[in-house]
Amino acid sequence: MSRSEATPIAPTRVGPEPTISRPGGIGQSERRPDGVPKVTGEFEYASDMWLDGTLFGATLRSPHPHARIWSIEISEAEAIPGVYAVLTHEDVPGRKVYGMEIPDQPVLAWDRIRYQGEPIAIVAADHPETARRALEKIAIDYEVLDPLADAEEAMRENAPKLHLSGNVLNHVHIKHGDGDAVEADVVVRGEYEIGMQDQAFLGPESGLAVPDGEGGVDLYIATQWLHVDQDQLVESLGLSPEMVRLTLSGVGGAFGGREDLSMQIHACMLALHTERPVKIVYDREESFYGHVHRHPAKMRYEHGATRDGKLVYVKARTVLDGGAYASSSPAVCSNAARFAIGPYECPNALIDSYVVYTNNPPCGAMRGFGAVQTCFAHESQMDKLAGALGMDPVEFRVKNAMTTGSTMPTGQRVEGPTPVAELLERVKAMPMPEAAGDGPRDLRELPGGVSNTTHGEGVTRGVGYAVGFKNVGFAEGFDDYATARVRLSVTDDGPLVEVHTAAAEVGQGLVTVQAQIAHTELGVERISVLPADTRVGSAGSTSASRQTYMTGGAVKMACEAVRERLFERVKEEFGESPNSLSLEDGSVVSGDRMVASLMDLLDGEDIEETVVHRHVETFPLDANGQGDADMQYAFSAHRAVVDVDTELGLVRVVELATAQDVGKALNPQAVEGQIEGGTAQGLGLALLEEIQVRDGKILNASFTDYLLPTILDMPPVKMDILELADPNAPYGLRGIGEPPNISTPPAIVAALRDATGRELPRIPVRPEQIAGVATQPPRRSPQAGGGYADIGDIRDRSET
Amino acid sequence: MPGYNRAELNVEFKIVVSERAGKPPQEQIEAGLRVANESGLAAHESGPETTALAGGRSEVLETVMRVIEASLDAGARIVEVKVEAQEETGKFGEPGGRRNRTDPAEPPPTS
Repeated sequence: MSRSEATPIAPTRVGPEPTISRPGGIGQSERRPDGVPKVTGEFEYASDMWLDGTLFGATLRSPHPHARIWSIEISEAEAIPGVYAVLTHEDVPGRKVYGMEIPDQPVLAWDRIRYQGEPIAIVAADHPETARRALEKIAIDYEVLDPLADAEEAMRENAPKLHLSGNVLNHVHIKHGDGDAVEADVVVRGEYEIGMQDQAFLGPESGLAVPDGEGGVDLYIATQWLHVDQDQLVESLGLSPEMVRLTLSGVGGAFGGREDLSMQIHACMLALHTERPVKIVYDREESFYGHVHRHPAKMRYEHGATRDGKLVYVKARTVLDGGAYASSSPAVCSNAARFAIGPYECPNALIDSYVVYTNNPPCGAMRGFGAVQTCFAHESQMDKLAGALGMDPVEFRVKNAMTTGSTMPTGQRVEGPTPVAELLERVKAMPMPEAAGDGPRDLRELPGGVSNTTHGEGVTRGVGYAVGFKNVGFAEGFDDYATARVRLSVTDDGPLVEVHTAAAEVGQGLVTVQAQIAHTELGVERISVLPADTRVGSAGSTSASRQTYMTGGAVKMACEAVRERLFERVKEEFGESPNSLSLEDGSVVSGDRMVASLMDLLDGEDIEETVVHRHVETFPLDANGQGDADMQYAFSAHRAVVDVDTELGLVRVVELATAQDVGKALNPQAVEGQIEGGTAQGLGLALLEEIQVRDGKILNASFTDYLLPTILDMPPVKMDILELADPNAPYGLRGIGEPPNISTPPAIVAALRDATGRELPRIPVRPEQIAGVATQPPRRSPQAGGGYADIGDIRDRSET
Repeated sequence: MPGYNRAELNVEFKIVVSERAGKPPQEQIEAGLRVANESGLAAHESGPETTALAGGRSEVLETVMRVIEASLDAGARIVEVKVEAQEETGKFGEPGGRRNRTDPAEPPPTS
């Protein structure tokens, strides 16, 4: 079956009724319909779902990052009263591996473990505690192997192969102009590193699988892309697409972490085996093992410029740690290459980007994928080069800024508004926050806050700038599309528009935008956005900043098709030319004259249209990384102002200012929310958020130890939103979700460098780096009576 | 993220060893896997003793024939093969496509 086709059978579970809203048109700030229920606790998240007779699923995971499995013994677990099923790889009815692009990941491991937390067996029981006890009774005979935990090591020829085709999963090479075969007056080099960030969505992985009694299954699931889940489920369950139906349940955030399967196949296997509904909900710790993360990266850069500050060449080599399985690593690798030099004009570039299998946790999609990593590197280099040239960092960036008609390293000409210089100049022109006065300072406004670590002594202020960009939508020749079905009808309460898509609302506000578009196009007050499911064609993924563009565009086109049919009806009945007609307040009008009301026109004859929206064609890169791979670019700039306690390495971000071109703000309030949210996530990456992995093992799988920014860490965000219409996009809009996340981290680190004078080549920046203390304690034997041997004497750790 | 971008053709094969062959069972399996590994195609384990190859149609078919030959030459008696074509590979355009459009007034082509 084609992914654009629908699954016809009605769902087995009745979820919350679709709400009917009365939205304003596009361009108006609209409150989201799920806002109040989420705040009051009435919103039904995936983990809240329940049906009578539901069993609880649980997953046995490997404690080892690399091991052989010699045997799996489940009989003791099966014997526990209340246990309904214990399943292993032998019970996978179809393909035993899955993966969005490369099916390399076992549904349940059979003989080899490649990462800590890899699923081996699943259990269904009548109580979560019973399921947990059953997991403890499953006996696995492991042969523990040394983990291959370093991406550079994994690239070596003599490294053990984690997959048959080797450890290098993807390599993208771009040669632009003469590559690096040119000379420059001023050359700077740098090595940069980024840690493993977690999407840290607050609603953990969860879903409810319900057998339909005829061999099929309905899955109610928090996901980002229903149809790609369905495709993989069909293959591993050995069922036809009609027998596997998915409905989106309440999603508590995603950020890329729900793009791969987690418990989907497991829940369906258990439901089909037991013929009972099965619910699986991960706890926070399991969630850290249950989804992919942002790729850690090591990046080596060399920039050359003329004495008067024009870029001559960029050489970049990026190595991304993909972890144990492919996920979306090939695309992340390609993004890291295509956006490696930033939104700048540079006549020559030589770029190599690699992604490598290791025994670390699998990495994949996360907001800004690939571009986040390289933006930190290229912006650090731009500051370093500006310093070497004795130029103002913003002036230097503006001098090299990409403009309309500039050429990407891929050879692609940049179309439409390209306001890189304008964004930088706008953030620079924003008023600076007030400097600290001479009097006593409020502790809450100082690094360390109420911990009372300083009263202002040793505190230095720094300011930094960065600009970033990324493509919107799927690239490199992928046939990207979204489907929308729109029905115009009349009920007892008047005209109603129903919008049906498979697009995942993950918290970004797409439901509101769909309703606004329908209201704008059809002039009807009452709009109902139906639950997303596979009964309508694919909308693609809620990722890559694409959903308002793609599904919003599909809804617009479907409304236009409905309107066209309505006007044809008017033409037939009233002889009015469709060209003179418009829709206002539930009526068809011609100029100021009402022609007919929708109540009269429809009269039981609903109009329904289903359309598919595609963006412009894109092309794969060739062997030299050349090709028109992208359909739209989105840009943002940030300025960070920080106060730093240079002795303790503590930071308070005083203010973040940003300018972003959004093309057209369909819901300005939601746009502001996206920009603030992305900026907060960028702050987290710059200063706090890192999954600590040692020898393939996660050390901080909890929100106690994985540090997220809170409202106390988040400063006010000044923003300047530009609306420079993209002539090729619906309403001129530009994807908005990712750019704020891309330019925030380098701006904050630039501000830290300004305050401290230190290089700070790695994010998240740790207090030790800021204070100039080595990140690792000196290795020496414990000393009698010491007790602090592991930490070492702080004086031994001072950087020279 | 990326996109759903499956290979044009997937082949799963399983080499069934012969106890009576001159070469030990492990060598019979490794002979076939070596060909898969060296093909440059994406090769992964896809189940117990089962290997998957993915890529373009002609490359995959050519490689799987060489896998079969190598396995049989090493003494294996049976090679089970399952060939699966992706119904919708979701690609358009050729690598390196549309770079020569120089007229700024020319709109990008739509599909």
